[in-house]
Amino acid sequence: MGYKFDWGVLLVYRHLLWQGLVLTVQLSALGMVLSLALGGVIGLGRRAEAKPLRWLCGAYIEFFRNIPLIVQLFFWYFAVGLEAFPAAVIGLTVYTSAYIAEVIRSGLQSIPRTQIEAARSFGMTPFQVIRHVVLPQALMRVIPPLGVEFINVIKNSSIAMTISVTELTFQTQQIESLTFRGFEAATAITLLYVLLALTIVLLMAAIERVVRLDLRVG
Amino acid sequence: MDLHVIVENLPYMLTGLQMTVILSAVSMVGSFAGGAVFAMLRLSPWWWLRWPAILYIDLVRTVPLIMVIFWAFFLMPVLTGHATTPVKAALFALILFNTSYMAEVIRAGIQSIPKGQTEASRAIGLTYLQAMRHVVLPQALRHMSPALVSRFIALFMGTSLVYIIGVTEFFRAANNVNNRVYRSYEIYGFVAIVYFVCCYALSLASSALERRFAVPDGGGGETRAGGLTLPGRAWGARSVAGALGRLTGSDLRRPE
Repeated sequence: MGYKFDWGVLLVYRHLLWQGLVLTVQLSALGMVLSLALGGVIGLGRRAEAKPLRWLCGAYIEFFRNIPLIVQLFFWYFAVGLEAFPAAVIGLTVYTSAYIAEVIRSGLQSIPRTQIEAARSFGMTPFQVIRHVVLPQALMRVIPPLGVEFINVIKNSSIAMTISVTELTFQTQQIESLTFRGFEAATAITLLYVLLALTIVLLMAAIERVVRLDLRVG
Repeated sequence: MDLHVIVENLPYMLTGLQMTVILSAVSMVGSFAGGAVFAMLRLSPWWWLRWPAILYIDLVRTVPLIMVIFWAFFLMPVLTGHATTPVKAALFALILFNTSYMAEVIRAGIQSIPKGQTEASRAIGLTYLQAMRHVVLPQALRHMSPALVSRFIALFMGTSLVYIIGVTEFFRAANNVNNRVYRSYEIYGFVAIVYFVCCYALSLASSALERRFAVPDGGGGETRAGGLTLPGRAWGARSVAGALGRLTGSDLRRPE
């Protein structure tokens, strides 16, 4: 192995690393928030009374889950003609929301209908049923798989480099082509991804603890 | 809309699809073998086997597939001193990446088989590997089959990313056509539909398998698995899928 390591390039090009990190975090954060909102609505729609609505939400989930993200991003960017960053946010959101909808649906499904009926017959209002019966149980079941989806958002945001969003993975290539020091850059950026994933793991554990105390469950 | 573009370039794009299928199939076989090894390592009673396996599995699963592909294509040659071809690098990356996910699927499958069976096999004189080969894995495989199909779907979609190192699989083939004729709507729409049809068909197969091996709730019943009638707990694919989710903390379907 005749390769001489030169970790100094990381210091010289730290502005590229920083820029990439900021974009990855922005893209992921937007993707998480938006796909949680959209996925929540669609997941609820999967459990709606109206059959056409249930079917429509099911079709959305199956459609966007079964097309590779890179194809969806290219569609938004090249066919629809959006700017790179909005295309990446929309593509990531639409793709992830299909997964999150499934998480929400299975969380809701885990609560037997009879519990809701029993709570209603006690004289609880629909809002009280949601607040005291459905939400505490569903939240606890939904938080761990949501954490996995959030980590997936971070990983999937790397695909945005293919439509020229200058996030972390893009910067690996950038530093490689500027310095031929791809090895050092890739090591640093791989570590950054691991750190980002760990952050989500810790964050979700904290949220779980708060929810557990707040709702007095588990 | 100009569907002529699709029809005219169909043969070329189909050769790309062929490459996609080959890449997925070869890496599925490779990562199954790798996954089985890592699953057994992870379940090993010796920490010096278990810890490196856990480190590998959990580390790879936090890194994007594109990064793994970069490592395989740009950085392995630097380390090994040998140039590599895009197809070889692609296979290497896909197998390396999927081995970690497969290891978790297989581990949960192995753990779905009651421990008493392994102990009984050992008691009648089988070695650990024989017990795995003849008793545990045949049954575990049935439990895992829906999750395995889901992994294959993820792998199939994941192959589209090796486009970035220049492997002419389906997505790159379609891009090449688009760069020539510039009909983005038609081409990317067509690509999306082809991926959807393939993956959706596979996911229907996965749910059919899940129903096939599912056992009605109630426990205590008898479960047919691997041609054996097992008394005791009902270990349906559904409960295994649930256990998989809890154990690995991951959605086994997809995730790049």
